[in-house]
Amino acid sequence: MIDLEKLRDLARETISRDDVKYLIGWKPGTHGFRISPHFVSNPEETAELIFSPLCSNNLATYLTLTEKRPVPRGEQPDTRKVALMVKGCDSRAVLQQLTEQGITKDSVYVIGCPCEGVIDIKKVEGKYPGILDQVEARWENGKISLYLPSGKVEMARDDIVAEKCLTCRYPNPVIADVSLREEVEVKGNNTFDDVKKMEAKSTQEKWAFWQGKFNSCIRCYACRNVCPMCYCEECILDKTNPTWIQRSVNISENTSFQLARAFHLAGRCVECGECERVCPVNIPLSHLNRKLVKEVMDKFGFEPGVDPEAKPLLVGYRPNDKEDFIL
Amino acid sequence: MSENFEPNVVAFLCNWCSYAGADLAGTSRTEYPPNLNVIRVMCSGRVNPMFVVNALQQGADGILISGCHPGDCHYMEGNFFARRRFALMKELLDFVGVDQRRFNMSWVSASEGAKWKDVVGKVVHSLKEAGPFEEFPRNKIDW
Amino acid sequence: MNSKPKIGVYVCHCGINISKTVDVDELTAYAANRPYVRVARNYSYMCSDPGQLLIREDIKKHGLNRIVVASCSPRMHELTFRKTLAEAGLNPYYLEMANIREHCSWVHKGKKEATAKAKKLVSAALAKVRYLEPLYEKEVTVEPATLIIGAGIAGIQAALDIANAGFKVYLVEKTPSVGGRMSQLDKTFPTLDCSACILTPKMVDVASHPNIVLMAYSQVENISGYVGNFQVQVRKKARFVSVDKCTGCGNCAEECRLAGRIPSEFNMGIGNRSAIYLPFPQAVPAKYTIDPAECLFLTRGKCGKSPKCVEACPAGAIDFEQKDEIVEFKAGTIIVATGFDVFDAARKPEYGYSDYDNVLTGLEMERLISSSGPTGGKIVLGKGDGEYVPKDIAFIKCVGSRDKSTGNEYCSRVCCMYTAKLAHLVKDKIPEANVRIYYMDVRAFGKGFEEFYDRVRREGVRYIRGNPSEIFKRNGKLVIKVEDTLTSRPLEDEVDMVVLGVGLEPRKDAREIIDLLRLSQSTDGFYLEAHPKLAPVDTATEGVFLAGCSQGPKDIPDTVAQAKGAASSALVLLASGKVKVQAQISQVNEKTCRGCGYCIEICPYTAIDLVTVNKMGHQVSVAQVNEALCKGCGACSAGCLSGSIQQRSFRDNQILPQIAALGGKS
Repeated sequence: MIDLEKLRDLARETISRDDVKYLIGWKPGTHGFRISPHFVSNPEETAELIFSPLCSNNLATYLTLTEKRPVPRGEQPDTRKVALMVKGCDSRAVLQQLTEQGITKDSVYVIGCPCEGVIDIKKVEGKYPGILDQVEARWENGKISLYLPSGKVEMARDDIVAEKCLTCRYPNPVIADVSLREEVEVKGNNTFDDVKKMEAKSTQEKWAFWQGKFNSCIRCYACRNVCPMCYCEECILDKTNPTWIQRSVNISENTSFQLARAFHLAGRCVECGECERVCPVNIPLSHLNRKLVKEVMDKFGFEPGVDPEAKPLLVGYRPNDKEDFIL
Repeated sequence: MSENFEPNVVAFLCNWCSYAGADLAGTSRTEYPPNLNVIRVMCSGRVNPMFVVNALQQGADGILISGCHPGDCHYMEGNFFARRRFALMKELLDFVGVDQRRFNMSWVSASEGAKWKDVVGKVVHSLKEAGPFEEFPRNKIDW
Repeated sequence: MNSKPKIGVYVCHCGINISKTVDVDELTAYAANRPYVRVARNYSYMCSDPGQLLIREDIKKHGLNRIVVASCSPRMHELTFRKTLAEAGLNPYYLEMANIREHCSWVHKGKKEATAKAKKLVSAALAKVRYLEPLYEKEVTVEPATLIIGAGIAGIQAALDIANAGFKVYLVEKTPSVGGRMSQLDKTFPTLDCSACILTPKMVDVASHPNIVLMAYSQVENISGYVGNFQVQVRKKARFVSVDKCTGCGNCAEECRLAGRIPSEFNMGIGNRSAIYLPFPQAVPAKYTIDPAECLFLTRGKCGKSPKCVEACPAGAIDFEQKDEIVEFKAGTIIVATGFDVFDAARKPEYGYSDYDNVLTGLEMERLISSSGPTGGKIVLGKGDGEYVPKDIAFIKCVGSRDKSTGNEYCSRVCCMYTAKLAHLVKDKIPEANVRIYYMDVRAFGKGFEEFYDRVRREGVRYIRGNPSEIFKRNGKLVIKVEDTLTSRPLEDEVDMVVLGVGLEPRKDAREIIDLLRLSQSTDGFYLEAHPKLAPVDTATEGVFLAGCSQGPKDIPDTVAQAKGAASSALVLLASGKVKVQAQISQVNEKTCRGCGYCIEICPYTAIDLVTVNKMGHQVSVAQVNEALCKGCGACSAGCLSGSIQQRSFRDNQILPQIAALGGKS
């Protein structure tokens, strides 16, 4: 049960701090099951903040897209902290950004929100289409309750949550300056069944599957924009000197783009699932990224975004890294 | 797969070990198939994994990356990084359905001219079996 | 500078080495048709003077600004052709070579295939050469001083050579005296020179040389910088004795309450010293030192009513308030001469070293035999009334060497000779002794070595071929269980004393220097030389050289030779006063770099730093390459997710066109 009053009190307290410039949380979106990120700059605006099974957005992506507007002469940049509300998976993104020096510890104030699973909006909008009024959802008694205009509906957690929540090992934030509520039970494990299923297919089957998916890609770059780990000022794939990938939208360039992004996430992807959520043509991006999450775990025993002392994966090596693939 | 298929292999060789080893194979007048075209880099650690994707997209049927044996890197650690990066790239390529035979990596030292001949032979042979890679390449405009 | 490329292509016949298999005319015609190619020629020997002249003249006549040479391996003639370009006034880095000999004409038989491949290789070279940029080799000055770490015979010899050449030397030694292992030896093989007699004059020289700053009982704490400009930080440890006042009289050590109670490191633990001590009589500097781990006053705050050494010292030199001193200085070159440790014979428990007092290591035997040792040079075992002179003495070679079970597969090089020498000295001091040496091989390879080995055998030392399996005590005697492989007979030889020919190992604190200087180790754990044949004193780090046993086991003549080699290498840099810095090094695009630090972690030479710059009013971190340290491996470029750091001459925008040229179907 989320105590919204407690949440808003905490937010008010946080935004009133001298060292916080604004707070990022969630608020009800435009309609139905939608949620909007909420940028709070003063205590009054905290009234709209919520935390519920609908809050799938990973707000950590905003930390690195912080304003880098040119600072007018004579002014100093505002270096106060950004207060950020994070679920478990989001907090891993924050920690990974810290370890790879994308942000500094003194630039963020983390409000940890232990999470029991977020709704897969595609599943629930498929079941209850066309709802215009804002819907409420709550974690209640180990289930998820939807407060629709037609009445309350209780759903089993596993039926309605995003796929990432089924394998979630970090429902409780791994980094937090303050916590919204007590820790919750870990419900997932990582046997990577989904990845293994794809691995078991033949080469031709895999190629046909992924080419089918990549063919739909419209290169909208929503996945890159939403990903908390994609924050290079100039993406290497946008460069024209050299031209790694052409901008034309065809299966060849799309495949290169997807492979490049997946590889650049090796040892960095924290499985927040946002890429898959926002893809307008339903490419199973999280599924693709989890392949390397599995390899990184199996081969190097490494999990990004859980150990504040860890160095990024690809800046190190072990003298006894496996080389069975080398002639 | 036609009988006359000759695979086109792009190879990245490190200057101090593998390139020297390939030079030695040349000085010793060993004979091996002409399907490999070499790009010289100073260290196998220079090879960006995205070069592999790019090479396949440009029309190569297969790739080979060759460097110094671990512990012998002229720059001490470059090949360790290469090893880690390509362990992952290989898995990613396999996952999306790129034939495993198209990506190859080897350690060839400056004195291993004979090994170089073996490596080339192995790679070309397995690529002949894998066939041309026709579904990925970017459409080239021939000015 | 960004004018259109005007490329000249030169196809070499290399006599018939290339032209026999590659159709050079067809190749030249192909090249002539490629974009931006102004001139395409072929010639019999491009590397010859007339060949190079062709290039130089074309550059002048046609205003060529890019050159492709299709010939042998760049590892052969890249430097040659770069000079050609430079002589014609074109930046030497506008050159790209296509290897159509070692990688083409020499390894393929069919003319059609070889020519087709040569065309591909040339097109790749053309694709890259368009994007090459002019590069300039910078020069940095070299500080005219050398840091030498370790003052054994290697460090001492190198120091003297460099100092005599007129350059400053900072000689840093960890122990209270210089001299190292050589000072622990009695006589040296094969000449039987008295080790101390030939060493001490050099020790004195090194202490009094005007160009040498000797820092004994000191440790290098930190080294930063790069060749020509090393910043060194040394901790001069407190002796608690004023070096100016101490006369080396030794009264303090006699009076010390712990006299004779502390195992002496110099005597390998078979003799004792006081808490205030001189490591050995000929120590340089001849100043006493108080062991802070043992001294009662320093560890407990009191020594009886008052410290005896203070009372005994006529010069009033004891100073318990003395502090460590940190000194900093600059050095242009560094020589590592830190020496070795002996194999710890306790790791071969079957030899009973830890169990029996009369099983000794070779170095302990040296101390026993040495007249400055605990027994004044008498070979005796036991104490007091139980003292006796051993009559049956055995030596076992290859203890801890050539032995997979101890992890040391290498040969320690000196043990065959030092066991022969010790055997000779035993026979000398105990003529009636029965001396045996158990061996697997006898390696008497050096000057005078074979003759010495011969002599020792003629003096009655018996060599038995067999590797003992076990030593145990029976009826008061040590029994050596061994198979004599030449007669195929198992033996149980009874002896009074066993000397184990222990091998040489890297020092236990070898890691400290590795961390200071980013050195590598070879598989045997000794410091790695840059090239085993052609650069045996260089390391992968420019300006850092190796001398002596820190690089691998060797005897005194080889150590001195190597020390002179290291000094000479250091002098090349010191004497020229400047050093050229690699041109094909990395560069950061500060606009796109976000200071993630990946390249900094990856760089094997710690050549990249994080600096703060002002980007539109914000203080942000970006990477910056130290151009003197970067060796041009490119690992940073491959690891950079945004492609901000690029290796010059091997940039992404230079390699990708090569891939494009080679990837297409021919």
